[in-house]
Amino acid sequence: MDIITGFSQGLMVAMQPENLLYCFVGVFLGTFIGVLPGIGSMAAISMLLPLTFYLDPTAAIVMIAGVYYGAEYGGSIASILMNIPGTPSSSITCIDGYPMAREGRAGIALFTSAIASFGGGIIGMVVMAVLAPALATLALNFGPTEYFAVILLGLVAASAVSNGSPVKGVAMVAAGLMLGTVGVDITTGAERFTMGIPEMRDGVHLVIVAMGLFGVGELITSIRANATGAHQNDIDYKKFYPTRAEWKSMFGPIWRGAGIGSFFGALPGTGQTVASAVAYAVEKKVSPNRANFGKGAVEGVAVPESANNSATQTAFIPTLTLGVPGSASMALVIGALMMYGIVPGPRLLVDHADLFWGLVASFLIGNILLLILNIPMIGLWVRLLRIPYKYMYPTIIVLICMGVYSLNNNVFDIWLTLAFGWAGYLMKLFRFEPAPFLIGFVLGPMMEEQLRRAMLLSRGDPTTFLTRPISGTLIVITVLLLAWSIRSALKARRQGRAMPMLSDE
Amino acid sequence: MKHLVPLSAAAILLATTAAIAEPGKWTDEPVRIVVTFPPGGTSDLIARILAQYFESEYGQKAVVDNRPGAGGTVAADYVAQQAPDGTTLILGNNAPFTIAPTQFETLPYKPLDGFTHIAYLGASTPALFVQPDSGITTLDEYIEKVKGDGITYGSSGVGSITHILGKAVDIELGIEQIHVPYQGSAPAIQDFRAGVLEAYYDMLAQNRDLITGGETLPIALAAPERSPLFPEIPTFRELGHDIVVENWTGLSGPAGMDPAMVQTIHDTVEAIMDMQPVIDQLAQWGISHTEMTSEEFTTFVGGTIDTWAPLIKAANVNGG
Repeated sequence: MDIITGFSQGLMVAMQPENLLYCFVGVFLGTFIGVLPGIGSMAAISMLLPLTFYLDPTAAIVMIAGVYYGAEYGGSIASILMNIPGTPSSSITCIDGYPMAREGRAGIALFTSAIASFGGGIIGMVVMAVLAPALATLALNFGPTEYFAVILLGLVAASAVSNGSPVKGVAMVAAGLMLGTVGVDITTGAERFTMGIPEMRDGVHLVIVAMGLFGVGELITSIRANATGAHQNDIDYKKFYPTRAEWKSMFGPIWRGAGIGSFFGALPGTGQTVASAVAYAVEKKVSPNRANFGKGAVEGVAVPESANNSATQTAFIPTLTLGVPGSASMALVIGALMMYGIVPGPRLLVDHADLFWGLVASFLIGNILLLILNIPMIGLWVRLLRIPYKYMYPTIIVLICMGVYSLNNNVFDIWLTLAFGWAGYLMKLFRFEPAPFLIGFVLGPMMEEQLRRAMLLSRGDPTTFLTRPISGTLIVITVLLLAWSIRSALKARRQGRAMPMLSDE
Repeated sequence: MKHLVPLSAAAILLATTAAIAEPGKWTDEPVRIVVTFPPGGTSDLIARILAQYFESEYGQKAVVDNRPGAGGTVAADYVAQQAPDGTTLILGNNAPFTIAPTQFETLPYKPLDGFTHIAYLGASTPALFVQPDSGITTLDEYIEKVKGDGITYGSSGVGSITHILGKAVDIELGIEQIHVPYQGSAPAIQDFRAGVLEAYYDMLAQNRDLITGGETLPIALAAPERSPLFPEIPTFRELGHDIVVENWTGLSGPAGMDPAMVQTIHDTVEAIMDMQPVIDQLAQWGISHTEMTSEEFTTFVGGTIDTWAPLIKAANVNGG
């Protein structure tokens, strides 16, 4: 087909000096902003929006896109080094990235993250180039019923994420689901668990939960242990690059992560965070190295990074071809296009082919630029770990406060982050794991919203989940997965072995 | 956009006769225009256009500050507490000023006395949309369908303007549509196009391409008169149902601003609203501007609270 011609034309557009320059500006700014905790791509894009008044639409979109996926690259750096997620979607990367840094393998973790992000980004780009029209149609076929079924599948997979006791794992998923119900109920408008505090009407922001549980919780834990030292006093430069075995173990997760990521990215409303959460949960189920997940597994870094970067690329599919933004950042992209009188929709591929293909080609260039930009920086980032705690911790606290405050310009959110910090510390003390909690919190509200909407649309008939073909298939897969995990658990028990999930208790 | 020419000419005439102050810069400090929504929506884009022209035409530095949350009340509460020195303004709309005063039992600010309402910017209107292949082409056929099999309609959220319109239609027409709330109109339209949703209420202009592409069919408009964009669509009023629901936008500041400064800001805004690129851009978004003085705008805000209160209450969308 004319994908090849389209892409080569796009490459010509993307290689124009102006577009090349703005692509570089975008990815550079994006990486930088991604590293800063809490300040996501949305803040950066809205700050850059006025600048785009003076640019050609293609250059503007190329730059905005660069910021968007650049931030996903940068977001993982803070997650790995300091356990504070730079962007909401990189909070999953904390789970294995930070333990790797603690073991002195920060360089490898960063390298893995860069390679996985690159791999995920490129696969996402290919998916976008080849499947944009098909995926757009698929997204159109995803109604509330189908969304509910796919999230249910994700949640069932996630319930096995815990390393520790399964009871604690389920308790954490349930706690996450409960926290997700805080705020104004979107179906009735009733306030739930807001305790009369107006700031709670919109619920608790993911960034606050993640920064509290991971970042502040980590600080409270280690502050007593070691006030004078540093993370790492000696850096073994040989440990920067992955070994052959580590390279090999990255390969599968990158493909699986990118597959799951591309799928969720193309569904409006789910996005990178759900993509990385589900990809992590699935990898946790299928990886031969699953016992080490949560303790610094290379796969545990590769999979969410690959997933969130491929999702960032495919998020452009519904945005451009349907005019349906999947996230606030994508709504900004639509806003920017509308400023130029370009209306995103099915006709965009035809009427503005140069813009579409120029953007696709710029993904390739941007991802290569990011790799060139990031690999040499790894040494520099790792050196950050040599900063003594007495300087490092106050800096982290300031960064967290700034990031949280910038969400809604609200001091209340800082107090809330502190509260979650204590919760994170207590969870650590009693060996409750944050990963299932976070996944429940991310997926729960969306599942509830889609369930209630589906029930309204079917006028109260629950069989709609089974009779609609896509949803029915997904429900069957979920039931099979559940049956399979119960069966393997029982089998393990019959054979007299402890269940694998209990292995580290 | 021909229709806008006589209107704007009239506005210029009005502006020149009523003007006391010259349009221009009113403070040496940068001005913050607080927006009640996250970046990207029409409201945000209007604020960005104002900020851009304040600076490029009058040298008045201005930045946009998005403070979304709790139905616009977070932003309004914040602005009400700032100094009335012209450095903090709010791009107000019916969320914090018309709906919230009735919807929430307690409000941290006073919608009228707590603010200086400076300039009215314009309004866009929502319409009722149905599936083009459903066989429904008129409001009467729609009513018949609701009374027969029933109908599910999407809105952009509980307590949103489109939900209130849906409820107003229920009350005025004596029917009961099944309400399915979404978070914003984009996901509702997605479900509509997938065929799972039978109808929805949304701003007319935002659906222009879907209408011309034959993917959606508007059957009644909640405006006082027909839209120049699609003059063939009848209004509820002409069909014998007195339903007018408009999504207005205006510029306000904290209470107690200096009247001379208010006049300067007002005239500056009016001058910008008369610029051809701005007129064209607003027409694209289906927003028609008319001039109101600061006093008229304040009366207008008060009027919307009074006329909407029974609707919001009867529609039972009050907080709890």
